[in-house]
Amino acid sequence: MQPLPFIDPSAGGNRPAIPLAPRPMDLAGRVVAMVDNTKEQGTLILETIAAALKERHGVARVIIRSKEHYSKPATDQLIDELAQEAHLAVAAVGG
Amino acid sequence: MIDEFEFFLEKPWSDGLPVVTPTEARLAPMLAAAGRLPEDVIGAVPPAMNVATVRDVALHALMAGCRPDHLPVVIAALDLMLLEPFNLNGVQGTMHGVAPLMIVNGPHAARIGLNGGNGCFGPGFRANASIGRAIRLILLNLGGGMAGVASATIFGSPLRYTACITENVERSPWETLAVAQGHRVDEDTIACAMVESPRLHFDDVSQDPERLLTGIADGMAALGSWNMHARSDMVVAMGPQHATLCAEAGMSRTDVHRWLVERAGRTVGDLRRGGNWRRERALALPIAVDPDDDGCFVPAIKHPDDLLLVVAGGWGPCTAICHGWSGGSRAVHGRYRVPRA
Repeated sequence: MQPLPFIDPSAGGNRPAIPLAPRPMDLAGRVVAMVDNTKEQGTLILETIAAALKERHGVARVIIRSKEHYSKPATDQLIDELAQEAHLAVAAVGG
Repeated sequence: MIDEFEFFLEKPWSDGLPVVTPTEARLAPMLAAAGRLPEDVIGAVPPAMNVATVRDVALHALMAGCRPDHLPVVIAALDLMLLEPFNLNGVQGTMHGVAPLMIVNGPHAARIGLNGGNGCFGPGFRANASIGRAIRLILLNLGGGMAGVASATIFGSPLRYTACITENVERSPWETLAVAQGHRVDEDTIACAMVESPRLHFDDVSQDPERLLTGIADGMAALGSWNMHARSDMVVAMGPQHATLCAEAGMSRTDVHRWLVERAGRTVGDLRRGGNWRRERALALPIAVDPDDDGCFVPAIKHPDDLLLVVAGGWGPCTAICHGWSGGSRAVHGRYRVPRA
């Protein structure tokens, strides 16, 4: 292929892809983390999901933590904490 | 043979308009005007977090139609927009349609022909159009803020094509926003705020500030505006005619600013009738609001710093009001240096 006669500044072409973490096939006995983004009623969604996961899938424990603000990313500290404690995490958008 | 216009129009990060084809020959004078090394890092642009170097910014400025002497403004603006309080990450992903409006003041703004007069929000003025567009192309390409991809924006906004003005210094009766923010008249400055496209407030009737400002305050306090339900910034660009009416009645810029901060708003009972009113939202405001008291007054501006009052536009009985985002972004401002030619 001939080289382009101009510059293509499209981003991202040389970045390595980050593989997805392996997904557990069974939730029984697992610890699930819930991330409350602080939007109104987000907690309600998470608590409903938590109850269903325990009842229907035998999840051992659910931990719910809140972000600082819904428009800001979770801090590294929060992500590290959840990664240490939980086997999988669920985030919710309220509003 | 490759059609360079189609090549860039087909890019997912295209803004839908043709770009100036970036070549090394066209890039060289841009880089010469940057006053910094091409590999200098400005920062990572959220949410995709691709790193923007001076060369990257110059490439996007070139594609957007900038002249080399526009580049220092684009670099300085991006520097400001990456500051944490501005929360570019949140705005890139939001359902809302706000855009980072740049208000550029100082001698360089005048030198490069930034327009603060008739039609300053566009179209028709290269510096305004291309500097704002350069930022947008960076947000799309390096930041990945494409609608339906990283951006959940419902409508987008015409202001997302370009958003860059200066003040109408010649016809303003007051000091600029930059001076009010503590900068000197001879310094080159940029203020950035996340706002909606301007809503025009016409008033060719008022002969006294009280009546004029009552109308402008009403435009600042719409039921569906996030300014009524969260701490949000707002830009009010008073037309020079409206500003002069206030000045001739003895009001300083500070007086008008204070009037609007104190008086623009609605009562709880009024807010309940429609829009985004929620009891828990009211309780989360950074000011004291009693959601159970229908007579309680809720100001549109929760902190004086959140109202950016400027004088812009041409002569005529109109003021432009730009409402803000739902919180989590604070306007930023700063000085920048223009390298010697």
